[in-house]
Amino acid sequence: MSQFGRVKQWNTFARCWHLFDATWQNPLQCSPLIEKYLKGLHKPIYHPFVDCGDHVVIMNSKQIAFPGEEWRRRVYFHHTGYSGGASWTPAWELHEKDPTMIFRKAVYHYMKGNLFRRVVMERLHIYPDSNVPEEIMENITNQIQPLRPIPKTLDSYSNEEIEKYPKIIDYPQDYLLSK
Amino acid sequence: MSSSRFTPKGFPSVPLQNGIGRYICQLKRVTLRFCKSSGSSRGVRDFIETELISFAQDHPGTVVYLKPRRHKSPSFVAEYLNGEREVISCHNFSSHEMIKWLNLYATRSGIPLKRYLKMWHTECPSIQGVWSPFTNMDPALNITQFPSKKLSNPVWEEKSATEELLEKVKQQKISSDDENDDDNTHSNRAAQV
Amino acid sequence: MVFTTAMMLVRSRGPDEFWRKRKIFKIAAHFSGRRRNCYSIAIKAVHRALQFATIGRALRKSDMIVLWNTRIRAGCEEHGIELNTFKEGLSRCDIQLNKKVLADLAIWEPSTFKALSDLSKSVSIDYELPGSEKYNVPTNVVTRGLLKK
Repeated sequence: MSQFGRVKQWNTFARCWHLFDATWQNPLQCSPLIEKYLKGLHKPIYHPFVDCGDHVVIMNSKQIAFPGEEWRRRVYFHHTGYSGGASWTPAWELHEKDPTMIFRKAVYHYMKGNLFRRVVMERLHIYPDSNVPEEIMENITNQIQPLRPIPKTLDSYSNEEIEKYPKIIDYPQDYLLSK
Repeated sequence: MSSSRFTPKGFPSVPLQNGIGRYICQLKRVTLRFCKSSGSSRGVRDFIETELISFAQDHPGTVVYLKPRRHKSPSFVAEYLNGEREVISCHNFSSHEMIKWLNLYATRSGIPLKRYLKMWHTECPSIQGVWSPFTNMDPALNITQFPSKKLSNPVWEEKSATEELLEKVKQQKISSDDENDDDNTHSNRAAQV
Repeated sequence: MVFTTAMMLVRSRGPDEFWRKRKIFKIAAHFSGRRRNCYSIAIKAVHRALQFATIGRALRKSDMIVLWNTRIRAGCEEHGIELNTFKEGLSRCDIQLNKKVLADLAIWEPSTFKALSDLSKSVSIDYELPGSEKYNVPTNVVTRGLLKK
């Protein structure tokens, strides 16, 4: 291959870094999206045997959201291998111990189990908050847009906006609004 | 099945873009070896008598040698510009067969036969340039500070019920304003609904 | 083979043993160990390999279809259009390119593929196909509703 041809190949198979903000995102719904970037399924040059996936940096994994009773009902199983070594950890407990673990497990379990899975998972970098190391942040060239909008909390509305909001009923004078 | 693993393989090719603009016959030399008396060389002798002159005239770039050898089986050797050499036995060939075989070897490029992996091949697969991650990338991303506020929203947001209600209220407000433009008190009441 | 009696036909076991075995050994030439050199082991391995080859011929076709679909989907999503809408848009314009060609275009001729996706996008907007409300109208395609039949 000529010198120029080799450069063209480097260009085609260049590895990119993508950022993903996990605030208010459901990790179970995001994992197909993350998997697409990790495996290189978003590139037309994709081939299952070619290592053409990208890096994905997930930040704010502490801020993930689960629907309904999921925090209590979802249980993660682990077995030490010894008798009586089984343990079941609810999602909220696991999230307290390691805020990156739920997202990592969601992506890992979504992917089909083969020899490439652990190699691909090495390209996933998860950070519990927005303090991503500088040497990782400087690689990033793209941001993956989230699946659902971040809901606006009542605190973030200014007084003026609340005043302008159309009212359906008037609260009675002695009605207590808990803050 | 398995033999295909051990035979040479490759893509169709031509030496020095032969046939594009000009064609050069790649066969440089043919040596016919035959016997003047034996029956197996009869077809070759017929060929030499009747067809050889026209063959040589048709292929001015090819040298033709004749080698009479007593009591030997007839054969011919085709030599090519790239140095390849092939010996073909023409035992019991007729004059007709000789023409066919010589024509075949005169039209070949001299590249040894191989199994074709594909029946088509190009040295230049892309005119517009091969796809790369940067081909269709938005150039605005080059100067974006990550995490970017604009990219923190979903690509497509469906309108929430609250937003739709707010819009309806707004519309109602405007329409009621148009109706009761003169009467300000009425419009104020409508706005509070 | 010439059989003088019917008895000889029954007793005949096909061509000469050497050639019969050679046919099998030729197929088993790239196998490893005794599966290549011992006939009784080679014949089993060859039968197995031929069965796999038969299954593989069908699998190869479906695998290629899946691969082409993945590649076209990747190319489409880069330009912000879904695979199904893209295909539907193309078929409504009577553009009869198959999956292989579309996948090749996405890799080797990206500008052509972008033009196709833009065309398909504007056609799907014209026909109001499901999901087309998400698309921005491409500025480089002017249909004026004429592509609608």
